[in-house]
Amino acid sequence: MNYRRGLRRGTALAMVVVLSAGCAAKTTSGADSGGKTVNIALNSWVGYEADAAVVSYLLEHELHYKVKLTQIDEQPAWQALDQGTLDVILENWGHADLVKTYIDQKKTIVDGGLTGNKGVIGWYVPKYVVDQHPDITNWKNLNKYASLFRTPESGSKGQFLGGSPSYVTNDKALIKNLKLNYQIVYAGSEAAEITQVKKLYKEKKPALFYFYTPQWLFNQLQMVKINLPKYTNGCDADPKKVACDYPAYDLNKIFRKGFTKTGGKAYQFLKNFHWTNKDQNDVAGMIANQGMDRDAAAKKWVDTHKSIWQAWIPK
Amino acid sequence: MTTSAPRAAAAVRPGGRLPHRSVWAVGVLAVLVVGYAALHGAFPFPSGLDIGLSPRLDAAYQWVVHNRDVSPLFLYGFNYISVGLGSLVTIVDNLLTAFTWPGVVAVGVVVAGRVAGWRMAVVTAVAFGLFGVLGLWDDSMTTLALMLSSVLIALIIGVPLGIVAGRVDRFQRIVTPILDFMQTMPSLAYLMPMVLLFGIGTPAASVATVVYAIPPAVRITALAIRGVPPAAVEATTSMGSTSSQLLFKVRLPLARRTILLAVNQTIMMAMSMVVVASIIGAGGLGDDIYQALSKVNVGTALQAGLAIVVLAVALDRVTNAAGRRTKASAPRTTWARYGLPGVGVVAAVAAIVVGRVALPDEAFPDSASVSIAAPVNDVVDWLQGHVGGATDAITRVLVDGVFDPLRAVLTDSPWWLVVAAVVALGAVLGGYRVAITSGVAVLLTGLLGVWSSSMDTLSQVIVASVLTIGIGGVIGVAAARSDVFAAIIRPILDAMQTMPAFVYLIPVVALFDAGRTPAAIAAVIYALPVVIRLVNDGVRGVSRTAVEAATALGSNRWQLLFKVQLPLARASLLVAMNQGIMMVLAMVAIGALVGAGALGYGVVFGLAQNQFGLGMCSGLAIVFLGTMLDRISQGAARAARH
Repeated sequence: MNYRRGLRRGTALAMVVVLSAGCAAKTTSGADSGGKTVNIALNSWVGYEADAAVVSYLLEHELHYKVKLTQIDEQPAWQALDQGTLDVILENWGHADLVKTYIDQKKTIVDGGLTGNKGVIGWYVPKYVVDQHPDITNWKNLNKYASLFRTPESGSKGQFLGGSPSYVTNDKALIKNLKLNYQIVYAGSEAAEITQVKKLYKEKKPALFYFYTPQWLFNQLQMVKINLPKYTNGCDADPKKVACDYPAYDLNKIFRKGFTKTGGKAYQFLKNFHWTNKDQNDVAGMIANQGMDRDAAAKKWVDTHKSIWQAWIPK
Repeated sequence: MTTSAPRAAAAVRPGGRLPHRSVWAVGVLAVLVVGYAALHGAFPFPSGLDIGLSPRLDAAYQWVVHNRDVSPLFLYGFNYISVGLGSLVTIVDNLLTAFTWPGVVAVGVVVAGRVAGWRMAVVTAVAFGLFGVLGLWDDSMTTLALMLSSVLIALIIGVPLGIVAGRVDRFQRIVTPILDFMQTMPSLAYLMPMVLLFGIGTPAASVATVVYAIPPAVRITALAIRGVPPAAVEATTSMGSTSSQLLFKVRLPLARRTILLAVNQTIMMAMSMVVVASIIGAGGLGDDIYQALSKVNVGTALQAGLAIVVLAVALDRVTNAAGRRTKASAPRTTWARYGLPGVGVVAAVAAIVVGRVALPDEAFPDSASVSIAAPVNDVVDWLQGHVGGATDAITRVLVDGVFDPLRAVLTDSPWWLVVAAVVALGAVLGGYRVAITSGVAVLLTGLLGVWSSSMDTLSQVIVASVLTIGIGGVIGVAAARSDVFAAIIRPILDAMQTMPAFVYLIPVVALFDAGRTPAAIAAVIYALPVVIRLVNDGVRGVSRTAVEAATALGSNRWQLLFKVQLPLARASLLVAMNQGIMMVLAMVAIGALVGAGALGYGVVFGLAQNQFGLGMCSGLAIVFLGTMLDRISQGAARAARH
């Protein structure tokens, strides 16, 4: 009897599976005929998300592609391009080592041209600190003010708050090589760093931290960059001996090589994609500060900036 | 439990061995502190002893990057696995999409009702309803697809291995350390090799989830097979059954309840990988949390976290109820057996058909959704503004008074003294085997080249463990003494265990400042439920006769607790301690996301910056610290039992 019941149950289950698999197959084939899919990496900072929002919106509504955004960190994203899972990284910050491995040596990835955004990485303090101590913006005076930045975690030294472990950083070497009396406390994630900075800002307490622009937090808080020793070409060649500021980054797009051949209009469009820091900040601000949906923010920008994006659409 | 009688005897015996042992342990620690005072900073771990694993791993990494397109190992091995796994998850995902939401709800309810009774059918319906109402239907289905596929694979691999381990002692001895390794290696450390071998997205995420979820499947299945009464086996053997008949007709049916517990635990382990999987592109609910956090939007993250909790709790309750069901409680009438499920299947099919005809866009209606994000964010802001002073003081006391001194003793003492202290502690608390294993384990962290990070992490783990055991012990005892209290805290404990730590990390930073304090607090939150449950269970498990005898002799409630219940529950309390430490250890890498630094930061930084050697060596060092702490605390627990 047990056997028969099992059989009956099995038959019922099999029927459901067959039935639904049929439906599933139909759905997938239906989706495919609608247009090709572009696979875009989605890095975690909001400026990047603004790029992704506008680009996907236009690809879907103007060029009728499907877009799949995959949430992923910077370094694994490069691997995904190499392995063929993703087609595009929309905003790349340098990464000389990856350029060497994948663009120069393996030749599976290509540079996709500039986005028009200028990236700045550096050390920042809130404006109220500069108001009180105007000479703090010169790095040579940082040691004089080290005690201001003391926290339980940094002990007798000043606290330097590090950024996300996935971002480009020379901070440890800088502190050592510039002989600064500071202790790095690794916030460990961008979320933790921003939370900490916002808290100190609210309490009007001093804070010295790694940060970058374009970034939506600049719309909320006033922060001033510290002038580290000027960047000269190649001064950051040896990561252990860096004693100069970060370079100015001309942010660029990165494509999977195969995509440049088979990407068609989507590839042309992404290659043409080019806008300003203000454009990105406007969209990022809508997403991060006004809590708007990614798509809604993109639509709002697209509706009011036709002349800019028209130039990206391939003829 | 049959052990309660000898346990009682051991505890009643005057001047047992425990005070003796603890005096010795305190002596060892005193020697360490004196050594630190006399020699601090004089003997850092010699760099000559570094075995150079890290650069070798980096070289291996580069080899894979340059050869994965041409090497047969990838062309005919990993790439196939990757495609196969990816397709499995995609098929399940497509299936769920094709069912449409009414179909999924109907199928879920019917299945839950059939295997676990009508109450669980209601639980399932409510859970599915919540995904929709929270506006997270699609992402919930993506996560569910990944979970179902991964759990299925984990069980297909794990249960047979468990059966073999249950029958063959030697096999069990071989797999146990491997399983230990799989469970103590931080899940974040798994991700890097997974991405390297299987690519990003669902394939890598499902392998990582499977690897993490297999150990309970193997362990508990082995336990189940070993628990089959020998009398039943002998009876069947004497009737001339073959060994496969014995397995399928006797052992497996008799072990069914415990094997369902294995299913349950496998699901729970898999669920804890949801957010971690999204870091390598698996999508789903983890994505919502991760992205909300980059905007420091705790409310939105909490909403997705809630969906994960609901999914986990529903899966837990349904599988648990299915496990508890016995022949006697199964439906008896023909109607209940065949008619009702038949109607259910018809209803489910009807729901799918209706869904496909009436809801071609397949989305859960937006109009029905509510958001809890805004009010939650307001609460977080308010908290930050109003309890800031008190939390600052706590941070200062913890860091200056506890973390810093302990870290100084461990990192600055001569390294050989620390190793010797670990060996001595192992010997005193657990005997010579424990002494050797823990000594080798702690030495290995140095040989990997991460001695001082390891000692830093060890100091943090000790602090968080002490907090967890202290707080968990008090709450556990309170729960054991009051049924009402126990019932109230049960859902809270469920939520603490299943809510991804990523969700509460940010509010904790907002209150306690980035650094070791928020990391320790996150670890305590995660580890507390296990300790509370085990303590509660242990105290309640004390034999009723002992309690009654003590009450009859006129003990008051406190005497009863401290003189009878706690001493008699000592062995379970030590198990609670062991599990508390292991759970704290599981949070080391996560803690690095809010400023814990040390080994956890090595794992996270290695993953994010392609520093394979650093990432893996830090992960391995966490495993070795885990081995050491586990052996010593288990040794102590074993000794307490004799």
